[in-house]
Amino acid sequence: MKQTYYDAVIIGSGASGGAVAYTLTKAGFNVAVIEKGRLMKREDFSKDELAYCRRDIVTPNLFEEYHVIEEKVDGKWEATPTYDSGISFWNGNIVGGSSNFMSGMLHRLHPDDFRLKSKYGPIEDANVVDWPISYEDLEPYYTLAEELVGISGHYEPHPYEPPRSTPNFTQPPTKENAVVTLLDKSCKALGVTPLVTPRAVLSKDKGHRHACYYSNFCGSYGCSSGAKSSSREALLYPALATGRLTLLTNTHVKYLHSNSKDQVSHAVAVDTITGKEKTIHGRLFIVAAQAHESARLLLNSANKYHPNGLANSSSELGKNLIFSGGGSGQGELHKESLKEISFDALMQPGYFINRSILDWYFIDDWWHGKFKGGSVEWMFEHQNIISRARKNNYEDGRLVWGKALGERVVERFTNQKSIRFEIFNDWLPNDNCYVTIDPKHKDKYGMPVGKLRINGHPQDLKVGNYIAKKCEAILEGMGAKNIYSSVSSAPAQNLVAGGCRFGDDPKTSVLNRYCQAHDVPNLFVADASFMPTGGSVAYTWTIYANALRIADHIVDVLKKEQV
Amino acid sequence: MQRRDFLVMGSALSLSPYLHAETVTTQQKAFRQVSSLIEAVQGHMFPEGGKLPSARSMHTIRFTEETIFHPTYDKDIRAFVIEGAQELAKRENEKFLSYTQREKERALRRYEQTDYGSNWLSRIMTLTMEALFSDPVYGSNIKAAGWKALHTQGGEPRPKTRYIQL
Repeated sequence: MKQTYYDAVIIGSGASGGAVAYTLTKAGFNVAVIEKGRLMKREDFSKDELAYCRRDIVTPNLFEEYHVIEEKVDGKWEATPTYDSGISFWNGNIVGGSSNFMSGMLHRLHPDDFRLKSKYGPIEDANVVDWPISYEDLEPYYTLAEELVGISGHYEPHPYEPPRSTPNFTQPPTKENAVVTLLDKSCKALGVTPLVTPRAVLSKDKGHRHACYYSNFCGSYGCSSGAKSSSREALLYPALATGRLTLLTNTHVKYLHSNSKDQVSHAVAVDTITGKEKTIHGRLFIVAAQAHESARLLLNSANKYHPNGLANSSSELGKNLIFSGGGSGQGELHKESLKEISFDALMQPGYFINRSILDWYFIDDWWHGKFKGGSVEWMFEHQNIISRARKNNYEDGRLVWGKALGERVVERFTNQKSIRFEIFNDWLPNDNCYVTIDPKHKDKYGMPVGKLRINGHPQDLKVGNYIAKKCEAILEGMGAKNIYSSVSSAPAQNLVAGGCRFGDDPKTSVLNRYCQAHDVPNLFVADASFMPTGGSVAYTWTIYANALRIADHIVDVLKKEQV
Repeated sequence: MQRRDFLVMGSALSLSPYLHAETVTTQQKAFRQVSSLIEAVQGHMFPEGGKLPSARSMHTIRFTEETIFHPTYDKDIRAFVIEGAQELAKRENEKFLSYTQREKERALRRYEQTDYGSNWLSRIMTLTMEALFSDPVYGSNIKAAGWKALHTQGGEPRPKTRYIQL
């Protein structure tokens, strides 16, 4: 049988893989997207808490595929496979990747996020560097992503809101719960400016996708109307409609093979159902497997030309892995103490708390000094029924059960609602946060698993704690009870970036400014791996925008046949 | 902390290599030998006459068996559910099922004093809550009685099959 030879082979179908596939197929090129998982369509999704949120249904079984996590315990580095800890570092292994399951509260980076070192100077024990591109380079693609994938919102000028080339969002904000009245009032009393949250959820129909139907179960679930702006709905379906996209599902790439020093020749993959190995050939290869897995794939692709891993002449591959720093907190709004809005309005299911705070993105505090801060998103506690019922059922260290348990749980569901904040701040890149491949542990396909050493920087905690106190005060002003917050160095497994830094110097970076490997011109890495610093917002909008940016460059490369 | 360490923490016990290595069929036999005891514990946690549906009326033991033997369930925890029940039976000289409510309460609180027992009771609580509040398609939230007791309902669309069988 004749071997198909694609113009581009994309490994991974999440936000970045989808964006590159969209641009390339629209430009007339034949593309293969390889996805380890299956295709789940809109009509396949349901709000099944047990399956989606409590079992490994859309991620691999941890006894078969896992990571090894190395963290400092009592001053010593301790390595634990995730099949032992039960904490999975997989994020939605189906077509569209984790973008199917995101909450979708997105922001653009601020222009100063691109020049953090120049702006704030070096930080001890942190590898902060400026980006090789500026906000101005990325702005047109933020705008393109906003329109193309569909981000709803309302622009309000704010000192830390980045400039826009269009006056406002084309999709108006999603509907809001009445609780914003309390939140806005409390913020105002404290001199804080709440902003409408840009959300990767459609408020109006758009092409083949329907507007949000406010299911009350959004984050962690696939969307049944197509409103959520996943790579699958927004990019891959239109790419498939061109007739130039081949979607290879249930296909896991083990490594990339090179016949010469400066070129990848094919991907060696395995059919995850039959176990049969196959090769996939193309002119260009675009890795988009999510940061820690992309670095692992390149490390597992070491060969005689690249003995330390593909595209690793800088020895920077896998280094400076970052997560999202910060923490979260919440408080309870009780029926009997609720003023200004009705309890029924508070309990209205489905509508969002469309509020974000950027006031502390950069902090200039008379006591704490000047430093880079972070952003805050407001939301209701996740409405999952089992997890809410199961929560806080201890008294004096003993489990509550029997009739007392029933009274306690019914009270929680019928007389109060918890409101929550999440803080996003920079996870400072440092020498003790990186991914390598484990010398001992292998997955079920016989490939070494990713070994992640994870270490947070003390500055991350300082920022998180500073903002958490501010948010607790807002909850107090709203009349919330039992307020608490938690800020730690525990990584958010779904917010991972870095490991293949981009930069202009091949000695200190893996990728050039177009996310093309310095060492291997027909190899690109499109996901969040390129980010030298993470900014203080969720990565997804930046991933979409940057992938659309580099896709334009890839089109030029293919057109000029430079490789 | 590693999960296996956590499961057996503070106990002279360990997850039995014998049981752990056994086939699912053998484990199912072992489960059935302790299922009455687990059912009794669930009944004590979720009794008749409370604000939540009782474990007995919702057949939570059936859900428990179907759940822990489903391929998606963690095999270590499956073994722990069985061995924790065996340990409780042993500690109470196989008399737990004949105890009065007050005796059961005392026995379970005694068991809870050990880290192992506390972890096991917590696991049984989680499994029983999963039974009562998961989608009715899983068989134990009968006619959505668990959701109704909480004046809530699951999201739409509801699952048509268990565990997204495509």
